[in-house]
Amino acid sequence: MADHAAHALEPNPTARAFCLTSAFWFAVATTAGLWAAGYLIAPDFMANIAYLQFGRLRPIHVNLVLFGFVTPGLLAAAFYYVPRLTRTELFSQRLGVLTAWLWNLTVTVGIVSLSLGFSQGREYAELVWPVDMLVVLVFALVGVNLIMTVHRRREPVLYVSIWYVFAAVVLTALTYALGNVIWRPDTGALLGIPDAILLWFYGHNIFGLLLTPLSLGVAYYVIPIVTRNPLYSHTLSLLGFWSLLVVYTHIGTHHLLQVPVPTWLKVVAIVDSIAMVIPVMAFLINIWYTARGKLGEIHADIAGKFIFTGTIWYFFVSIQGSVMALPQVQRITHFNNWTVGHAHIGVLGFAGMIALGGMYFILPKLSGKPLYSRFLADLQYWLVLIGITGFLVILTTVGLIQGNAWFNGETVYRVLPEIHLYYVLRLSAGLAILSGAYIGLYNMVRTLFFNPGVQA
Amino acid sequence: MYFPYFIAYMLAGFIISLAVLFWALRHGQFQDQERLRYLPLADRSHPSAIKAGRLNRLEGYLMLGLACAGLMCTAAVLFFTLWRWR
Ligand code: HEM
Ligand code: HEM
Repeated sequence: MADHAAHALEPNPTARAFCLTSAFWFAVATTAGLWAAGYLIAPDFMANIAYLQFGRLRPIHVNLVLFGFVTPGLLAAAFYYVPRLTRTELFSQRLGVLTAWLWNLTVTVGIVSLSLGFSQGREYAELVWPVDMLVVLVFALVGVNLIMTVHRRREPVLYVSIWYVFAAVVLTALTYALGNVIWRPDTGALLGIPDAILLWFYGHNIFGLLLTPLSLGVAYYVIPIVTRNPLYSHTLSLLGFWSLLVVYTHIGTHHLLQVPVPTWLKVVAIVDSIAMVIPVMAFLINIWYTARGKLGEIHADIAGKFIFTGTIWYFFVSIQGSVMALPQVQRITHFNNWTVGHAHIGVLGFAGMIALGGMYFILPKLSGKPLYSRFLADLQYWLVLIGITGFLVILTTVGLIQGNAWFNGETVYRVLPEIHLYYVLRLSAGLAILSGAYIGLYNMVRTLFFNPGVQA
Repeated sequence: MYFPYFIAYMLAGFIISLAVLFWALRHGQFQDQERLRYLPLADRSHPSAIKAGRLNRLEGYLMLGLACAGLMCTAAVLFFTLWRWR
């Protein structure tokens, strides 16, 4: 099996720091998620502790999964493969490690300020101005390090993964600043409907122009290696990249179909949401053809297994997303747990799974030793997979119950007792993910620091 | 009148993308596509070409089965939702 074979040691303190960051915050973030799920079952549990009320825990959970767990995990892999694909060294390991420290500082200040009640109250843009500035700064530092690395490249042509990383880092630094209205430090917002449009332009870009390209970059790098097949088509991958840029950048208004925004913007958003089929299928056809006939090999390699599963979730989340952008469908699915189900299969099933796969791919190289325990990694895989599948089934069911009830004019409080049971089930599915996160943290720390394995 | 700003923003994005596209064209980024397919495979540090055991293959098929079941659920939900809207 992959993990018992020899791995050459490739010291990369930056990738190592980002791996640890991701594994640590994954555990904290799921704990916050579980806590929040507890409130949905028993709203007054912990009633007197202001810092841990649902309204504060929810943004803590969401910001932690986005900026604590998934993004650093995907960046860890990028810090490994960008130098390799350009046949050069990372521009500055010192800058990289400094960025990782700053990253952790940003995340910590972010959650402490949220739990103290400092929030700008806009979804995915809750963080207050000083933290916003830190976020922009860390993305800029990551950008500088990677751009300088590519600038000194010895491989003239850029592999598709590099295009994706650049799109993610550079565009996020820009859209984050714009979406958080950083020129208005006091509110971090415009007024009224224009603010909603701007917010969702930005909010959607967090999934579409940060998590998605970073995840695709990792998959395009790891799947050919794990299967020992060349990429099915590099031209197709570039086509997918450019069509993603064209289509994904202005579909944010599909979050606002029930809002009085100009109709033309809604039409652009809906048409582009359907057109997302093009970049999505360009990627999936490419990866699945690359992996053709090697399903067994993929499952024998823990990194391949996580990443391939992530691509399957990508298929589901995207098909579901295109359908959810149809106004007829959204009349039922909006404002209820259906969307929360979609969010979890997207951010955890797709991007989170690929982040974990990317980290398992590089960990043995960073330590020069096999993974501490392949069994624990497999266990984590199954726990996360079972948990996320449970989330999808449970939350989709609740969403349909809520959506249809409200659509039929039923009052909210009469629906709540009906869905109580599902919230209990969601919490139990969450326990699987939570255990997976802690097991993963243990396995990664043991692999990097207390690994009895023999160095190659 | 706020949407001129959004149009300006979209245009700016479009122009920057075009600029990068032209840079890529002029710097041969779309040439040599055949060789690029092999680029990740230069990473020899990964002890790969792992032979799959029977269990791994079984696991793969199990996943495929699950994915098909998921697809059928998606189709069913779509069908019932749209059916309500006939
Ligand atoms: C122990 C596991 C987890 C539990 C119990 C959990 C629970 C929750 C809860 C209760 C919410 C608030 C939903 C609402 O407002 O009704 C939420 C939102 C969210 N969670 Fe989790 N979560 C878990 C793991 C994760 C992970 C690992 C990720 C991503 C990697 C994630 C991503 C999100 C996102 C993106 C939202 C925002 C959803 C939306 O606004 O539609 N969660 N989660
Ligand atoms: C073709 C691709 C996709 C399309 C067309 C799409 C479409 C949508 C739509 C229409 C909504 C709004 C639902 C509503 O409020 O009623 C939504 C929400 C959401 N999507 Fe997607 N989606 C896609 C892929 C993804 C991916 C890949 C991710 C994660 C990486 C993701 C994460 C989310 C999240 C977190 C939300 C919840 C936003 C909130 O807090 O309200 N989506 N998506």
